[in-house]
Amino acid sequence: MPETNTPYALIAEFETAADIMNAAVRVRDAGFRRWDVHTPYPIHGMDDAMGLKNSKVGWFTFFGGMTGFTTGMTMIWWMNKWDYPVVVGGKPLFSPMFAFPVSYELTILLASFGTLFGMLFLNRLPKLYNPLLKSRTFARFSNDRFFIAIQCDDPKYSGTETRKLLEESGGKQIHFVED
Amino acid sequence: MSGRAVRRLAWCLLLVGLVAVFGFVAVGAAEHGATGATTTVDANLAGVATQIQHEYTLWKQFLYSYLVAFMFFLSLCLGSLFLVILHHLFDAAWSVPTRRMLEHIASLAPVMLGLFLPILIFAPQIYGWMNVDPHGDHALLAKSVLFNRPAWTVVSVGLFLLWWLFSWRLRSHSLAQDKDGAASHTLAMRKWAAGGIFVFAISLTLAAIYWMKSLQHAWFSTMYGVYYFAGSTWVTLATAYVLALYLKKTGPLKDVVHKRQIHDFGVLLFAFTVFYAYIHFSQYFLIWNAAIPEETFWYVLRETGSWWDVGMIIIFGHFFVPFLCLLRIDAKLSMTVMLPMAAWIWLMHYMDMQFNVMPVLHPAGMSLHIFDVICFVGIGLVLVTIFRRWFAAHPPYPLRDPRLKEAITHHEVKPAPAGVETH
Repeated sequence: MPETNTPYALIAEFETAADIMNAAVRVRDAGFRRWDVHTPYPIHGMDDAMGLKNSKVGWFTFFGGMTGFTTGMTMIWWMNKWDYPVVVGGKPLFSPMFAFPVSYELTILLASFGTLFGMLFLNRLPKLYNPLLKSRTFARFSNDRFFIAIQCDDPKYSGTETRKLLEESGGKQIHFVED
Repeated sequence: MSGRAVRRLAWCLLLVGLVAVFGFVAVGAAEHGATGATTTVDANLAGVATQIQHEYTLWKQFLYSYLVAFMFFLSLCLGSLFLVILHHLFDAAWSVPTRRMLEHIASLAPVMLGLFLPILIFAPQIYGWMNVDPHGDHALLAKSVLFNRPAWTVVSVGLFLLWWLFSWRLRSHSLAQDKDGAASHTLAMRKWAAGGIFVFAISLTLAAIYWMKSLQHAWFSTMYGVYYFAGSTWVTLATAYVLALYLKKTGPLKDVVHKRQIHDFGVLLFAFTVFYAYIHFSQYFLIWNAAIPEETFWYVLRETGSWWDVGMIIIFGHFFVPFLCLLRIDAKLSMTVMLPMAAWIWLMHYMDMQFNVMPVLHPAGMSLHIFDVICFVGIGLVLVTIFRRWFAAHPPYPLRDPRLKEAITHHEVKPAPAGVETH
């Protein structure tokens, strides 16, 4: 693998949840888009502090579910009423009644596929490598430290200004992570 | 889709639903006028003795209207008892601030007993099986252990006493904790809740069977109890949502009810929208699939005349409209969606009660009567008056519940001074 040494992100370390919450608000208000917060545990209210909107995964779930439902109904209608009509139990050749349990199961199946694969797609996963893991201090994000990482390809990013912002927000150990 | 578009869509769906309801009520009223006043329930299919002669009288209309309204409000009372029990069983934190108002509604049980007296006294005018000799009716004979008037009366009164006991214990411990703050009250309430959930399940099932299902005593459905439960909890959650919001806006719960409580009620409401549909579909599906006359006659009657349209309104209005409107996470917090939705849910649950009770009196189709409105408003006013008095007389939420702090702390860290939205 060729050594590129291009800076990937500027990261800053914080000691308490309150510190990182305040810092996140400042980064949000500065208008950054490509940045993230890494904490050892979920912090309630962080979504608002980061200005995160409702996830788009719901749409994948919804359309997955819709596809499942229509597939189930159409499949049973086509098989029982059209392709190979057989009267079973004196019931009509097609009724949404008996088609419903199958359609309902397919709704759930494809909705969960939509959720899982939609989530992976939106998160650009699976991703086998994350430059942040190169930083030795960053490993503490899963133990007792809180981190903000601002990517260098953010439109708002500028070397000195961004560093200053993180310093003013109370960030420690501010350093670059290379790609 | 933007929040505005969601709201517009929700409004359109509600509007279409409302127009459909009024249209079919108008048609139903016209049809009823044409068929005359005396009607006969004749579902005598393949020799099944399900025939009960019913002469329509104004007095009967009143009793049936009263029963529909009573079962509607009983739903709120039992649904609240269930939510209070659930709170203790799960040792929940989020619902502490809204528990007191539910405790008051659940404690309306003895008032409901008072309101039940007309049904208790005039039962033979409502329940046809009380006038039938069991030896000439095998369906009744087989069920005669429970289906005889003394048993019916004793059990009916006993159910109210049970609900009264559990709601009273749960509320009085809660009120006592306001004064001394002792954790022992929480432990005691948990014990009452643990026993209460079993008592609740059995007593609610008996109530649904005795007071609604027995209108057509020959029928079988093992899902009937859970069916009434699903609808009851659904309408209670919609009521709790609006009540919590109203008490937050007007003051008493201003500092303790936050976005989290409102959102969680919305989520539960959505869950019970699906649960009700699941239960009602299952009941219909099993009967449809087996297609034996002992069971189908109940739905055959409910697919006659404009009852068919009521069934459609229940499928679309009770399930699809709320399901689609509540699907998005932000809809559960949008007042322009949720307030009309709560009103719609009251209407749908009322339709559901009509669908269960009224076809016996009006087999030709739905026919709303002025008594329906009078009974509904009358019972409602009595309950609202007592609820308001209780609510004013006691602290609006459990002041010293051990989990209160947890419930009202939305952020784990203090909100930042500038720019952060606080809820």
